[in-house]
Amino acid sequence: MFAQILFILSALLAVAGALMVVFSRDIMHACIYLLASLVGVAGLYLTLGADFLAATQLVVYVGGVIILMLFAIMLTGGGREPSEKMKLLMQVPLMGSPRTYVLSFLALLVLSLTVGKLFVRVMEGFTSVDKLPYMGTVDSIGTLLVTKHVLAFEISSVLLLGALVGAAVIARPNKKRGAK
Amino acid sequence: MLARKNIIAILLGIELILNASALNFVAYSKFLAGNMDGQIFSLFIIVVAAAEAAVGLAIVIRFYQINESIHIDDAAQLQG
Repeated sequence: MFAQILFILSALLAVAGALMVVFSRDIMHACIYLLASLVGVAGLYLTLGADFLAATQLVVYVGGVIILMLFAIMLTGGGREPSEKMKLLMQVPLMGSPRTYVLSFLALLVLSLTVGKLFVRVMEGFTSVDKLPYMGTVDSIGTLLVTKHVLAFEISSVLLLGALVGAAVIARPNKKRGAK
Repeated sequence: MLARKNIIAILLGIELILNASALNFVAYSKFLAGNMDGQIFSLFIIVVAAAEAAVGLAIVIRFYQINESIHIDDAAQLQG
């Protein structure tokens, strides 16, 4: 029952967020909707039993990539000016677009359900005597990463180093053009 | 209606596609009992997507410094 509720909510969130990313005209709103969609996908990972991936999804995407995207949008001029209707709405305190409220409420629900489900499963493993303790996917993923997939693991470390250096070099201000 | 000419909007779309493929890998590996390869693969997809986002956004910021615009049609310097 709990898994079904989590699945329905996160599927709704993922699909609705993805559609809104594609259809919204404001790039800043699209980024926030992408955040909602990624939280939904994390919930779907959890219903598929991939708890480590759900945590990684939340940490890497929601905590890293989306923040990076928001900074890039703001550094490159931001979205467009708010429309007249939106300006009128913004005069009312705490009043935004209703879609934003609906999606953020859904995202909050999925996030709390996700954390709650993980917590409940871990606690069940600790408290019940007859059942096996709850085994996440972390240990098997860790073992596979350094045995069967060790080459891909090492290559991805080199890729990440290259991306780090490359991003720093590309985004560095040009000294010759600095006087312009 | 769906076409986007903003470079960051295109990057958002790429993130969405990468997420969809990762979700597919996990969903298929769920039904191969005990096989974790799908989850490992989507872990690597997340790694590649993070690296791609970092380098892509660095290029976007550099492009904005040079062209004062992030419209995809302004990126025509390589056109002969």
